[in-house]
Amino acid sequence: MTALLTVYLLTWPVLVLGILITIARGFLKDVKEARKEGRPII
Amino acid sequence: MPPAPAGEISQLGIIGVILLLLLFYGGTMWMSVAISRKKENADDYMTAGNKIGFGVSAASMTATWIWASSMYASVTAGYTYGVSGPIHYGLWGALMILFIYPFGKRIRQVAPKAHTLAEVMYARHGRSSQLMLAGSNVLGSVISLTSNFIAGGAIIAMLSPLNFGAGILIIAAGVLLYTLWSGFRASVLTDFAQVLAMLGAAVIIIPAVFFVVGGPSMFADGVAAGHVTPQQESFFSSDAFMNQGAPYIAAVLAYAIGNQTIAQRLFAVREDLIKPTFITATIGYGATVIGIGMIGVMALYLGIEPAGGDVNNLLPQMVGTYLPVVLVALAFIMIIGSLSSTADSDLSALSSIVMTDIYGQSVGRKNANPKLMILIGRITMIVATAAALFFATARFNILDLLVFVGALWGCLVFPVIASFYWKKITNKAFTVSVLAALIVFLPVRFTLIPLTGPWALLVEALAILGVGVVLGIMAFGFFGLRPALVVGAIATVAVLPFGFGYLRDFETLSGSLVAYSVSFLVCYLMSFRSTQEFDFSVINKITGDFDEEAGVADPIETTDGRPPASEAAAPTGR
Repeated sequence: MTALLTVYLLTWPVLVLGILITIARGFLKDVKEARKEGRPII
Repeated sequence: MPPAPAGEISQLGIIGVILLLLLFYGGTMWMSVAISRKKENADDYMTAGNKIGFGVSAASMTATWIWASSMYASVTAGYTYGVSGPIHYGLWGALMILFIYPFGKRIRQVAPKAHTLAEVMYARHGRSSQLMLAGSNVLGSVISLTSNFIAGGAIIAMLSPLNFGAGILIIAAGVLLYTLWSGFRASVLTDFAQVLAMLGAAVIIIPAVFFVVGGPSMFADGVAAGHVTPQQESFFSSDAFMNQGAPYIAAVLAYAIGNQTIAQRLFAVREDLIKPTFITATIGYGATVIGIGMIGVMALYLGIEPAGGDVNNLLPQMVGTYLPVVLVALAFIMIIGSLSSTADSDLSALSSIVMTDIYGQSVGRKNANPKLMILIGRITMIVATAAALFFATARFNILDLLVFVGALWGCLVFPVIASFYWKKITNKAFTVSVLAALIVFLPVRFTLIPLTGPWALLVEALAILGVGVVLGIMAFGFFGLRPALVVGAIATVAVLPFGFGYLRDFETLSGSLVAYSVSFLVCYLMSFRSTQEFDFSVINKITGDFDEEAGVADPIETTDGRPPASEAAAPTGR
């Protein structure tokens, strides 16, 4: 049970890290596209 | 060895807190100034040109939905209900984002350039439906804004010598200053930096607390010390489901429909990116909020008593008690980031409602003065900030109020969603069904009539039907009408055996479910014989841009100081 609870608890920060990387990569892609098209990012 | 649970909470000190706030609000202000234009475009002020990319929009939706109260509430759920508590808070909150996107795609299809959901209702039905939805949106955003100011004042008061009043003033001024000039554009771009700070802090703080308090052995020690009950140890706690989860499941669609901050992002993101944006935000919100809730679970296993008996103090208390001052500062930025990103979204939502639904559609799209419109938006932000500051000092239970408003939004869900698909629904059916649902909801929610005898049976019958309506609408978004009818019917039949004599004990849940079922019944019965055949293309003609002048970017807006490529490539004549 202790091992299960430990995995359960630490799963969330790992998942958050995955989303953080996804969003950061998406943002860099947005910046790249905006520069290519010569428009502001927003 | 972890320090004693009754240990002193690390103080950041007045200098530390002011430096962190200057760093945070100075950074967001710099971003806001970098994208500002001398002459802002009215439509961009509300929806940023309807073509935001995936990274910015996913960051913005995630940051907006994660607010300080969601962190506190998830920690409270973990502390109160044990290991499944944060799931029953964070998962359903996350699904609010997920379940709206299929409807969002439909809304964008019929109104690609709208600014608010109420504006689309105006085009579909008329003024009364528009004002009902806009009014509920305003109420929700003002309450949310107030709640975020309160959370900011409380955290500043807890971690520094500054008092609550000074704290809410600093937060209100900081958020208003960076949002006022560029509106939604500033809100969305600063959300990216805020989401990096929030999610980055969560990645570090959750495992840091876990290992500092003793790691895996904490669980066995907590059980041995009798700190947890069998229900709190269970991943399938019925306590957690009935008291925390079920009312939130009922509110999933209501919050999504009733919240203009979601609608604004639905209209702002590039249309083909709605799905990936909202799925990413669903996982981002869920993982962050459930993860932060684990700090409440740890507090439970450690047998910690919340400071001052207030469970809302648990998050800063745990961080301040166990972590070094550098990580306390990181947690402080995480909480300030969460409340600021939501507060700036609320300000943008409120300004767009007043700009579009109060001014724009009342004078007519072609007669609206874009310059006056932006002025109205900015004045709205200032007035909303002042109102939220006033309510924050009143210190009434703002979260209870928000839960109440969330249930209230349940009255609107079926009429609003069905209006985007079903040609027969009239303005009269919409208005009467919402009011009828409200009339039944209020006495159930506040037990104005005791839930006994025939009244209790009627309420339970409506609540059982409400379960079918909620799950049916959810299924409809993803799978269409026929599967939705099957899901709704099966859900209703499944709840029948135990619903009677049981649901009357859960008035919050029953109130929410009754709101759904009554609005569904009245709206359906008033519409199915209607001869109206609404032409959805009309919506696109009525909604749209107010400001014909394109939002021309200033040269600094390519983020690296160079002029835009098109300008750089143009012959200069020299």
